[in-house]
Amino acid sequence: MDAMDAVFKALADPSRRKLLDALYKHDGQTLSALERRLPMTRFGVMKHLRVLEAAHLVITRRNGREKLHFLNAVPIRLIHDRWVSKYSVPFAAALAEIKHQLEET
Amino acid sequence: MEKVYEIYIKTTPEKLWDALTNPDLRSKYNFGVRVESDWTPGSRYEGKSPGAPMLLLEGENVEVDKPRKLVQTFRALWSDAAKKEGTSRVTWEITPIADSCKLTVTHDQLRDNASAELYGGHMMVLSGLKTFLETGQKLTTPGSLMYT
Repeated sequence: MDAMDAVFKALADPSRRKLLDALYKHDGQTLSALERRLPMTRFGVMKHLRVLEAAHLVITRRNGREKLHFLNAVPIRLIHDRWVSKYSVPFAAALAEIKHQLEET
Repeated sequence: MEKVYEIYIKTTPEKLWDALTNPDLRSKYNFGVRVESDWTPGSRYEGKSPGAPMLLLEGENVEVDKPRKLVQTFRALWSDAAKKEGTSRVTWEITPIADSCKLTVTHDQLRDNASAELYGGHMMVLSGLKTFLETGQKLTTPGSLMYT
C-alpha cells in the first residue's frame, strides 16, 4: 500500500481519530493510559494503534519497562502540503483581496 | 515534555546531512532560515535570515556524528513568548532503509505545557525537506518560507 493511502485509511476510522486526539492532548502515553481515557477495550486500542503505527502516525519509544506512544503529525502535514493547500490557497487569497478592498473603501 | 517526528525521504544519509547543515540548502525548506555553524562537537549554531532583523534561534551542537546523528541544545529567539521557553534539546537521527532514509527528530527537555510555537514547526520543515530532496522544489504552502 502507498504511504499516503495508509494515512487516509488510518484516518478514515473515528476510533483511530479519537486515539490521535488523545495523543495530541497528552503525548507519550502507555497502552494502559490510552485504554483508560477511551471507551475502547485493550484489544481495540492495540488493534487501532497497529494501523496508526503502520501509517507512521504513531511512533513508539521504550522508556524503561514502559512503551510510550507519540503522535507523529508529519504524514498529515504531507497531505496538507500535497492536497489541501493546493485547493485552499487560491480561495484564501481571494478572501484576503476582498478584505483589502473593503478596508480601502 | 517530549515530541517525536518521523519522516521517510528517498535520499542518502550524506545528502540528508548536507541539507541539514548547509545554510544555503537549509533556507530552502526551513521557513527561509539559514542555520550556520562549523558543526564540530561543542560548537555554536545560529539561525538567521536576511528577511528577519533578529537572530531567530541558537544553540550548541552537543553531539555530531556525521551523517547519522546530531544532538543540539535549542533556544528559540523569534518572539518574546518563544524566548521565555528557555533551552530545550533537539536530536536528529538518520537511519538508512533500502533506498531511503528515516529521519527522526526528537524535541525533548521541553517544559510541561511548552508553547506549540517551539516544536510545531518541525512537521512543516520536515515536509519541506522531503519535497526539496525528492524533487528539488520549494514548498508553496503559505508560511513555509515566511522569513525569506
